[in-house]
Amino acid sequence: MTTAYEAVTAALEWLTRQFTITFITGNRYKLFLTGLRNTLIIAFGAVIIGTFIGAVVAMIRVYSAQSGKLRALDKLCGAYLAVFRGTPIVVQLLIMYYIVFSFIDNGISIAVLAFGINSGAYVAEIVRAGILAVDIGQTEAGRSLGLSSGKTMRLIVLPQAIKNILPALGNELIALLKDTSVAGYVTVKDLAQAGENVRTLTAEPYFSLLFVAAVYFLLVMCITKILRIAERRLAKSDRH
Amino acid sequence: MIVIEGLVKKFGANTVLDRVTERVRPGEKVAVIGPSGSGKSTLLRCLNLLERPDEGRILFDGEEITGPKCDADSVRRRMGMVFQHFNLFGNMTVLKNITLAPVKLKIMTPGEAEEAARALLSRIGLTDKADAYPAMLSGGQKQRVAIVRALAMNPRVMLFDEPTSALDPEMVGEVLDVIREVAEAGMTMVIVTHEMGFAREVASRVMFIDGGRVKETGPPKEIFDAPRDPRLQEFLSKVI
Repeated sequence: MTTAYEAVTAALEWLTRQFTITFITGNRYKLFLTGLRNTLIIAFGAVIIGTFIGAVVAMIRVYSAQSGKLRALDKLCGAYLAVFRGTPIVVQLLIMYYIVFSFIDNGISIAVLAFGINSGAYVAEIVRAGILAVDIGQTEAGRSLGLSSGKTMRLIVLPQAIKNILPALGNELIALLKDTSVAGYVTVKDLAQAGENVRTLTAEPYFSLLFVAAVYFLLVMCITKILRIAERRLAKSDRH
Repeated sequence: MIVIEGLVKKFGANTVLDRVTERVRPGEKVAVIGPSGSGKSTLLRCLNLLERPDEGRILFDGEEITGPKCDADSVRRRMGMVFQHFNLFGNMTVLKNITLAPVKLKIMTPGEAEEAARALLSRIGLTDKADAYPAMLSGGQKQRVAIVRALAMNPRVMLFDEPTSALDPEMVGEVLDVIREVAEAGMTMVIVTHEMGFAREVASRVMFIDGGRVKETGPPKEIFDAPRDPRLQEFLSKVI
């Protein structure tokens, strides 16, 4: 009896001590909060840049393939895709920080840019597939009414493409969020880095790392939920 | 109204239209008939520049529309087109399908366009479907909406590309009724069709195309009752 009681007490004591040194001592919870903030800034900033680049690159590639115009720009887009999908994100991040923007000492901005440009390459292929999956008849109908190719793309094709590619875009968004955990390579204090930091400070791996994992998991769950809602909204034209 | 001179269209090594020279006069209802793959649809699609002819020229209201400087969008605003597969915009309600082009091209205000659209919908008996999405309509309803969508632009000419070929047999009648009504209102029309009975009844002239060439053209009575071209005789013996 006494041994069981002692075991429980010891466990509780251990938990309390772990909690205290991980979050309370030296206001270490602030490290996690700063980390979370930086992770969110990088992820959201990169999503905006990536979506913009991806949509533009996809439209250029589709337009070029259909009309035979903008050949040079199409080649450039192809090279962009090859380079940024062909090299690891960590290496791209380091090159951005130590070579391309070596004169700027702002890890977060550079990380936003690096992740955004990298994500753009993947988004471009997703969007392109989405556009190509929309029946060519939709484009022809738009053009036959006198709408320009730009208006037809923006008003008719893209909205339908986005509906189709939402799950794939969600995947990319989730991957991007988790990819930002390597931002520490360029001195950014992101969420993963906060965990690593606290692990070193406390010399205890359990709470710091498992907590960070749980926060990432919750963030991904939130994104999944939001995408579900968006999908349902966009599906209203499918109801019979 | 439309003058076609020496029109040639090739898809790769395949010559689909072989020096077609024809004209469509104001108020004429031209039915284009012929075997599959004879070039009927391609001819129609050349008229509103969905296909670019390789040789020859097309004049519309005296303006050469096949020239390099011609603004295809402005030509298409004056030519309505109805497709075999309806091509209603899947992401928009019926009303939005009809008002999109007039509003976005600043031909009508949103208010005017909606009023015109509702009037057109009542003409085809689909007032109650204004807020429905295309996926909720039957094939016949979709095609009727597609016809008034084209009419909403107040075109000078209506082009119909096999408007009943994708319909269940019991829905062909309701679509032909709408087309007949448009014809009786004095619209100039070119209609590619396999409905010989309808061509005979509504067309003011029938054009038989085979192997990319216009083999015979004349009033329906002559074409159907006294065909001279042997290929036309053979074709009619198969389809009637």
